[in-house]
Parts: sequence; C-alpha cells; structure tokens
Amino acid sequence: MGIRLYKEPELENPVLVASWPGIGNIGIIAVDTFRAIVEAEEFGEIEPWDFFYPKRVVIKNGELRDLEFPISKFYFKRTSVKDLLFFIGEEQPADGGRAYAEGRKAYQMANLVLDVALKFGCQRVYTSGAAVAPIHHTMKPKVWAVPNTKRLIPELKKYENTILMSDIEGRGGQGNITGLNGLLLGVARKRGIDAVCMMGEIPVYLQGLPIPYPKASRAVLEVLSTALGIKIGLQQLDSFIERSEKEIERLYEKFPPEIKDQLDKLSHIAYTHPAEPGPITEEDKKKILEDIDKFFKRESKED
Amino acid sequence: MRDIPAFKIIKKPELQGSSLLMGWNEDAGNLGTGVLNYLIRRLGAEEFGEFEPVDFFPLGGVAVEDDVAQFPESKFFYCSNRNLVLLRSNAPRSEWHKFLNLVLDVAEFYCYVTEVYTIGGMVSLSAHTTPRELFAISNSPRMKRVLNQYDLSREMDYETPLGQRPTLSSFLLWVAQKRSIPAASLWVPIPFYLLPTEDPAACRKVIEFFDKRFGLGIELSDLDEAVKRQNEKIARVRFNFPEVDAYIRNLESNLSLSQEESEKLAREIQEYLKRID
Repeated sequence: MGIRLYKEPELENPVLVASWPGIGNIGIIAVDTFRAIVEAEEFGEIEPWDFFYPKRVVIKNGELRDLEFPISKFYFKRTSVKDLLFFIGEEQPADGGRAYAEGRKAYQMANLVLDVALKFGCQRVYTSGAAVAPIHHTMKPKVWAVPNTKRLIPELKKYENTILMSDIEGRGGQGNITGLNGLLLGVARKRGIDAVCMMGEIPVYLQGLPIPYPKASRAVLEVLSTALGIKIGLQQLDSFIERSEKEIERLYEKFPPEIKDQLDKLSHIAYTHPAEPGPITEEDKKKILEDIDKFFKRESKED
Repeated sequence: MRDIPAFKIIKKPELQGSSLLMGWNEDAGNLGTGVLNYLIRRLGAEEFGEFEPVDFFPLGGVAVEDDVAQFPESKFFYCSNRNLVLLRSNAPRSEWHKFLNLVLDVAEFYCYVTEVYTIGGMVSLSAHTTPRELFAISNSPRMKRVLNQYDLSREMDYETPLGQRPTLSSFLLWVAQKRSIPAASLWVPIPFYLLPTEDPAACRKVIEFFDKRFGLGIELSDLDEAVKRQNEKIARVRFNFPEVDAYIRNLESNLSLSQEESEKLAREIQEYLKRID
C-alpha cells in the first residue's frame, strides 16, 4: 500500500486541492474541472489494490489482459500566483458497498495524500463536497465553508456567497462532513496543516438522485478562485450546467403537482440568519420542509 | 506501507514514581480539557506522545463544532520537575478496554506512574452562585487514605440507574484496580446551564486540589479573575432579562424549574455568553 511518484516537481509552498466523489459529485466536478482548466500534469498515484476492489476486467481470447482499479492520482501546476497540487480519487475506499470511506483504510488514504502534500511543502489544503440544503434548484447555490482551525474563520467570512455553519439557522455552528472530503480536514488538523472544506449546496430533493449538480461545483470554483487569487475561466462548465438543468427540469416535471407546489416555495425560504421576513412564515417553512421530508422518505421506501 | 502504531512516541520522558492526571474532551463544562490545558500551560508541560485514533474512533468524516472541523486526539504531556504526566483525550468510541489498558501501559512503562487521577464534570441543578464541591471516588483503600488528607467529599453512594452506563472514568478506575494501580476520579457538579461552555469555578476547584496534592505552588489569581468575569457576564444577563434572573433566583432558593424553563435558561445564557465572547 503505497505512493508511486513518476516525477518530483519543484514547487514552492503549493496548495493542495483534493476531492473524492460524493452527493451530486459536486466536489469532484469542481476539482477535476479546475485541474483540467489549468492543465495540471499528472505526477503520481496511490497504488489502489489494497484500497479498492477492481472495477473492470479485460479478457481477450480467453486470456485476462487487464484488471482496472479506481484511480487515485496526483497532479501539479506551477502558476505565477501560486503553485498547485491536485489529488483526485475516483472512489472512496469503503467496505461493504458503502459510498463513503471510514475506518483504517480511509485514515491511511488521508495520511498518504498528506504525506505527498507535505513532501512538497504544502501548508494549505482545500477539499470540496456537497451541502444538502432546503433550496430550490433555480437558486444560485451558496458555499458552506468549514475550516479545521478557528484562525481561518475571518478569512472565510470575506468570501462572497460563502457561509459558515453558524450562519445556518438552528445548527449552532455544528454539523458533520461525511467521508474523505471531511476526514482529510481532521487528519490535516492532526498534522498541523490548515485546511478548508468548501461545500456547494444541492437542493434537498436532489440529494438521492444519481445526477450530477455542476451548478454547485461552479459556485465552489468561484470561491476557490477568490481564495487562491487565481482566475478560473468557468465557461466550459456552463454547457454541462445547461444539460444538467434540463435533466433536473425533466425530473421535476414528473413530481406530483402537490409536491411541486411545496418545492416551489423553497425559492422563498431563507434558512440562514439573520432571516429576512419574507412571504413564508416560520410555521409555513417548518411545514414545507416536513412535507418534503415525508415525501422523499415515502419515495425511498417505495423504490 | 505506512505503519500505524497505537502509540506514537515523540520523546521518552524522564520520570520516576509519577502521577497521571487525565481529562476527557467534550466533558461537562469542558472541565477535563479546561483543567488539563491550564496545567499544560502553567507548568510548561511538554508533549511526548499520542495514540493513533484509528482503532478507537470511527473516522467516517469529521464533526464540525463552532464552525470548525474537529478531530479526535489522545495526547500525552509530561512535566519532569513536578513528576506529572498529563493525558488530554477524546473518549474512545470503541475498544474501550484496550484503550484504557494502553493508557496504563504508557503510564507504567514510559512514565513509571504510581497513581492516576481522572477529572470530570457532572450535571448539577444548582445555581452558578453555589460554591463548587469536589467529589472523589477511589479504587482502593490505599488511594482513599491519600484522599483523606484533603477537603473532599469522599463518601459517595451511587449505582448506575437502569438504562444508563458507567462513565469511562469509572471503567478506568476498574482497569487500574485490576492492575493494582491506585486511582481516583474527581468530579465537580457543574450548573446545567454552563454545561456546553466553561465553568472556571469548577476548574479552580480541581486545580486547587492538585496544587495542594503535588505542591505545585500555582498562583490562582488568574482563575479567580476568570470566575469573576464569568459571574459578571451572567449578572449582566440577569439584569437584561428579568425572566432569566427569576429562574436563577429560584435555583438559588432551592426551587426547581420546569423542563421548559430550564431549557430557556440554558439557551439564553449560552446565546449571551457566545455573543459577548
């Protein structure tokens, strides 16, 4: 179980941007798009066989030719503003068919990623994932930012369209980030590296659907672009967003009218505070969210 | 392959016949962490090792508290001129017996520990103006004789109520007893509305005991100042919110509050303390 580096680039205090798949693939789309836009170069990988079950076999003429595993790769890019390291994991190392990593293997993978980051002098890590929120899919998603040290909070507060856990009503600054996009923050904290997880919002009713939500990835990239001081041309995401919007609208039209009526009201709900008084009362809001919750619980039982 | 030993040692402490003081993070009133952090700072204690979390915590992501991602820790510190070992740790989520034995392994093999103290807060329905009391539970007659020399409440009778479980500190006392290591758990009742925050008065009570027990010679005026500051803050809440004042007056008169009143008092105090901190 180890790291294979094909080359050792000379980098100056690089920032690591890492992600694994999760809800709506928001984080992985953001990080992979960023990697592609800056044309980062692959320079290493984590050997997969101790972490993953193979994903594809190639047999030709009755002979096994290849066995493919999910990839976990490192990339780098030198820019005039900041040197960058990327890590992209195609899957989270999980046992028993779970989607999210946990336990010894997850901890080992997080440490291997940070071993490489530290080897190149990295002192700041960004991860990205999804934040399930009571929003409508026609709204611009916000980005929830969670740092692994209090020291970073003033910096995060300066970013546009970004909120902290304590900005969300009823949360009291608390929550959980499941899987490696969260765990990496904790392991970085243990090893003395500053880290932030940027989570793009996804509407609560889309979280269980197997469709990507690139609009939230775009929101994450806008914040990352500010945080890093690197201009990221995001036009190439727009056609992807357009396709995804069409797909979501198609699914949305299939929802029963009474549910659609309730979901439409999400456009008027403010769930961060200070909540502006709007057309929806607190009582309405509670009822709408309860109804939506009930509907999707019923749906998932029926599946 | 990266090796993950249960205990990662940074340096070997030089100690002989030392005492281990340990506290749990996320304790009521953050008492364990508060006392440990205070001692580490005031005594200039040095970190010498830690447990890797992987065997004891689920590590399926991270918890976020007060906007910041947390991560479980179990860190050992030592102070050779006072012959003390300090352990600040999250309570393990699994493999408790293995964890507690490992604590005592490190304590015995690296630090030659001869006695162990744990620190914990417990819920009290009293007002914050009630003087704090220090309760002690020992795991042997020998430890009890040691504690008899101090002004502590030692004659506690308690059985775990149906549906609840013993505390991890009690489990540790039992494991230490099996290994013939004298140990005691120290408990301070914390007013329920201070549970999620800090209780400097409780912290002072424990530090005062350790100061006497180990002749630390710590000047406690900074803790007195912290107690005064918090009392002033709560006095301001009482002044601004007559309802809160009425609830606390009831507690001061030994009258109980309804659940709704208790929740409201806790909420108001928390929100106010958070806002002005």
